[in-house]
Amino acid sequence: MRKALDTLYDAAAWAAAFFMVGVLVMVLASVVGRLAGFNLRGSDAYAGYSMAAAAFLALAHTLKRGEHIRVNLFLERFGPKVTHALELWSHAAGTFFCAVLAVFCARLVWQSWTFNDVSQGNDATPLWIPQIAMAAGAIVLFVAMADDFVLHLRRRHPHATKKAETEMKHME
Amino acid sequence: MDILITAVLIAFLFALLASALWIGLALLGVAWIGMELFTSRPVGDAMAVTIWGSSSSWTLTALPLFLWMGEILFRTRLSEDMFRGLAPWLQKIPGRLLHTNIIGCTIFAAVSGSSAATCATIGKMTLPELGRRGYPEDMTIGTLAGAGTLGLLIPPSIIMIVYGVTAEVSITKLFIAGVLPGLLLAGLFMGYTVIWSLLNPGRIPPPDAPMTFLQKVSTSRHLIGPVALIALVLGSIYVGIATATEAAALGVVGSLALSWMQGSMSRKVFAESLMGATRLYCMIALILAGAAFLTLSMGYIGLPRHLAEFITGLGLAPFWLLFALMVFFIVLGCFLDGISMVVLTMGVILPTIQKAGIDLVWFGIFIVLVVEMAQITPPVGFNLFVLQGMTKKQIPWIARVTMPLFFLMVAAVGLLYFFPAIVTWLPSRM
Repeated sequence: MRKALDTLYDAAAWAAAFFMVGVLVMVLASVVGRLAGFNLRGSDAYAGYSMAAAAFLALAHTLKRGEHIRVNLFLERFGPKVTHALELWSHAAGTFFCAVLAVFCARLVWQSWTFNDVSQGNDATPLWIPQIAMAAGAIVLFVAMADDFVLHLRRRHPHATKKAETEMKHME
Repeated sequence: MDILITAVLIAFLFALLASALWIGLALLGVAWIGMELFTSRPVGDAMAVTIWGSSSSWTLTALPLFLWMGEILFRTRLSEDMFRGLAPWLQKIPGRLLHTNIIGCTIFAAVSGSSAATCATIGKMTLPELGRRGYPEDMTIGTLAGAGTLGLLIPPSIIMIVYGVTAEVSITKLFIAGVLPGLLLAGLFMGYTVIWSLLNPGRIPPPDAPMTFLQKVSTSRHLIGPVALIALVLGSIYVGIATATEAAALGVVGSLALSWMQGSMSRKVFAESLMGATRLYCMIALILAGAAFLTLSMGYIGLPRHLAEFITGLGLAPFWLLFALMVFFIVLGCFLDGISMVVLTMGVILPTIQKAGIDLVWFGIFIVLVVEMAQITPPVGFNLFVLQGMTKKQIPWIARVTMPLFFLMVAAVGLLYFFPAIVTWLPSRM
């Protein structure tokens, strides 16, 4: 079970990295296209879709690495009991909000599909296709959050937290 | 009644944030409840559509690309090159190698969008080198912390992209507008270092062995890489052949090439930089998604409009309005990071700013400067965390040695207010 879940997060993360490269490729394609005098239809829109896919598919992986930011002013100040209680609360609330997000992202895909929603741009993509990545990412995030909640309930520390310093340096 | 509910929502937001809920999710939760209370529109559907629209918007694509560029450059020998190229020229100026901090950060800021990355990359080299030569620790760390903040002001800049997308201001204009204020601030920092060194001549160690002019020129070849990257990224934006997004893509390619030519690129480094950038972007994207929904929800509640009417009704002079905002942001910066601060407040504050007749490009630069100040004030300041990690000093001590530079930044805000042309002149010439 543990193994399957971790594979799920990693797979989503690799897909996210793939779409990150996709953003670069799409933007470069439009630059090259303009210089060479041909117009790659919809490359702007595809760059946007790739960006959304990269962000959503990486959500669970980023959560697992402890890199989503939160205010930890109170989290670390008042001893292990308070920390545990706050972790339980924030993971419970987090699981709830992620569930809401996942449900409505999935519903958006379904709506775009039934109403035949097509992009306003010149790419004319049926929107449910790129939106699948958003829904998938939101669902995996929900799974990861619930997973962490359960781990906290059993008092197991969910992620081998690399300490703040190494991460912070990359933050703005 | 509305005001009461709004106050309750704001209190609820701060409670959620303080309870260590992830920032993006806290914004989303408050937006949800606010919208349930004020409209009969199906909230969930509105949320999904709004988040989709904001996360897939083309203007934002510059952000992940600039983050990736920073992750690549962080893993190159760029900081070493910069120190070697700059050091020989600075031996004669009072303060000597302390200026490598400031000039190094200024140059690196022009290829990096983030102040903590700037601080970490330059400090990686200057902290040990200056320490070995016996430069006073307080000045070394203080100037590094201060100059690191130039990463946000000198384009490219992550905060400017976020602000530009939120306020619907041209990111290209914001980038160009940031150049002169950035150089002004760097000038103020250098001036301060010079004056301090003249007042404390005993504390600056002797210069390194002198070099001939030709030797100096020859070591400067190390600067070619960074300078070429700057020319590629900023040049292409300024000349108008590339949008901010396209310049970011060129920057990624350029830094990959630079790293490859230095021999520091490998499959492992490539994968690390890519995953690092993806996670970093993902973290920001979650905040942006929550903020987009919160802005929508606030719009339904009518908070921005009410606030604008209320503040305009006070008849406050722009000076005091901006002063109040500066204080507000510095306080907010005590527990929130820069991006969260900007996305959280802009949706509410912008109508007020427009009503007060303040130019939105100028205001963007103002916000960036104020956010920078928040980065070096305790207890939460990312540059302070970075330096704490690198030097093992205590946060209060680092904050104290950075204080003089904080006041120089306040002075810079004053200069921008009285001479707005520092901001507006360059973009108007494009």
